[in-house]
Amino acid sequence: MESKARKQIKKGVAFSLMVTSVVLVFMMVFGVMMLLNQGNVVKISAQLFYKVMTIHGTGMIGIAALGGSAIMWYYLSKYIHLNPKVFFTNLILSLIGVVMILAAIFVFNFSDGWTFLYPLPSASAKLNGSAGALFFLFGLLLLGIGYLVMYFYLAARLIKEYGGLGKSLGWDYIFRGKKGYGPPAAVVATTMVIIANSTGILAGATAIVESIVNILNPKFTFDPMLAKHLTYAFGHIFANCTIYMAVIAVYEVLSEYTGRPWKSNKAFLIAWNFSTLFTLMIYTHHLLMDFAVPRWMLIIGQIFSYANGLPVMVVTAYGALMIVFRSAVKWDFASSMMFLAMFGWVAGAVPAIIDATIVVNHVMHNTKWVPGHFHTYMGMGVIAMIFGFMYYFTKTEGTQKQKGIDNLAISTYFFFFTGLAGSFLYAGKISTPRRWAEHLPEWTGADQVGALCGVLIIIAAVIFTIRFIIGLRTLGKNSETNSLKSVS
Amino acid sequence: MYQSIAWYATLFFVFLIALAFSFVYGESRKLKEYGSIQEKGYKIRKFYFLGLLAIMGFASAISLSKLPYHDQHVQAKENGKVVEVSGIQFAWELSNENFTVGEPVQFRVTSKDVTHGFGLYDEKLHLIAQTQAMPDYTNIVSITFKKPGTYKIMCLEYCSTGHHVMIKDIVVKPKGGY
Repeated sequence: MESKARKQIKKGVAFSLMVTSVVLVFMMVFGVMMLLNQGNVVKISAQLFYKVMTIHGTGMIGIAALGGSAIMWYYLSKYIHLNPKVFFTNLILSLIGVVMILAAIFVFNFSDGWTFLYPLPSASAKLNGSAGALFFLFGLLLLGIGYLVMYFYLAARLIKEYGGLGKSLGWDYIFRGKKGYGPPAAVVATTMVIIANSTGILAGATAIVESIVNILNPKFTFDPMLAKHLTYAFGHIFANCTIYMAVIAVYEVLSEYTGRPWKSNKAFLIAWNFSTLFTLMIYTHHLLMDFAVPRWMLIIGQIFSYANGLPVMVVTAYGALMIVFRSAVKWDFASSMMFLAMFGWVAGAVPAIIDATIVVNHVMHNTKWVPGHFHTYMGMGVIAMIFGFMYYFTKTEGTQKQKGIDNLAISTYFFFFTGLAGSFLYAGKISTPRRWAEHLPEWTGADQVGALCGVLIIIAAVIFTIRFIIGLRTLGKNSETNSLKSVS
Repeated sequence: MYQSIAWYATLFFVFLIALAFSFVYGESRKLKEYGSIQEKGYKIRKFYFLGLLAIMGFASAISLSKLPYHDQHVQAKENGKVVEVSGIQFAWELSNENFTVGEPVQFRVTSKDVTHGFGLYDEKLHLIAQTQAMPDYTNIVSITFKKPGTYKIMCLEYCSTGHHVMIKDIVVKPKGGY
């Protein structure tokens, strides 16, 4: 019974990672297609551009969440018993949601972006028919339900194992003076993600339902400002939680490779508690140019966006540097990617924090500076963590061996991702608007550099993906496979 | 100005971070007992933490005193020229299109359909001010044009497939000129 459940967990993780890597390559191709069009190298219609933009954004955030969930599930199951059926329930609901979203975009011409602002879907429904908007909105809703089911189940398991989410977030050690170390990093991170992302998804679901109701009966209208708050509470938290799920792999892999424990001491626990609080609070930095929002809320958006950089910079990234320092660590694909991913995360946090400064935001909001910073911490952070974990998974659960081509692919990926992120940030510096199908001649140079970098990133990602899929064929052949606890 | 500050500050801090990661990578093949590394590392971390707090506190103190919001803007005088601005898929409607250098202008920005972004660009295509154009809400952005020329209003919030064509030229005349 136990053996069957263990196999199911591995299958679920393997399948999720395979979907993640394959979809990622397609989404990267879409990304390059947009840059080529903006750079005036190829010509696609504006409608196709915005459809591609919608699937690129939705798909990227979707696979980051899927890959992050696989990491979270894999490691959490080392510490507590988990039922793989819940993982598959989320996976199936997600896949149905994805099919609906694809139909919405490519069959019914939905092109409002993944963080659409009410009442845009209603306006689009009037132009292109309701089917596209409704398919997209219900697809997103289904995805959200899948994640909520998973988070509520994980919450129930953590409450049973640790006596409450406060305890699995280390409150006994922070507030009650309990000695020693708190729960494993995977447990602490999962608790944070459960609290933040459940809140974010419920906020997003409310905004989605508002749009659905308005499309079905335009007599029912809603406050667009409230809807925007809900949309960005969702978008911001959901995107951030992909990092907080994936970073579990950094804790585990670097700890294992250096032979040094990465224990949850008091500073670690305080940092994660603040991350939970700040992640919930700081979405208002997406509304800094909505002058009608109460000023105190916008100032909070700036100050706490700064503060949100502290846990990662002072605890997680610093901890990664400390654990690697003079450790005689064995550098391979997994450890290199985790180390570089921590650099990517922190490097991306810098322009993000700067953009959260109200006076800077006034002249940089919704320029390409914004995709500049999130491509840095998503592409060189989250996705690098997922790629690193993919190798680790096939090495640990199978017999994957590193080859020279892997080193070449890692170097290519990070070198040209720096170029891509730099081209976005530079485009932001020269005030290029984001989400424009066509660019003025003054802006196309940065797009062309970005597209070239994108092509080489895709080559590296294809190598990672092919190597991972080949490695999957060796699953179960490693006699030293780590044991995973699970129940059927 | 802020664009350049953001760019160079990012390059500087990312360079420092890269330096730290490179240094640790360079030292990673050596081996030392972790206890002593932790002891020293935690001491350094206190200063690092306080240093970051000081930088963030300084940046907050400087930047929060110059908010672009209406009543804190230097040029946001009640006697300034008021221009009603409406975004509509995919155009900008202005109640007044006559602008002169040195004249304080209040743009009262809203939308007639979906949310747009009111982005004001100078002749060199630098973004000099913006606010959101949201239905049911009016956001006031104040500006005093310093140079004559053709400025552009561009949409900075995705508003559907004509988003990128939502550009309007406005001409700012020299003071006392034509």
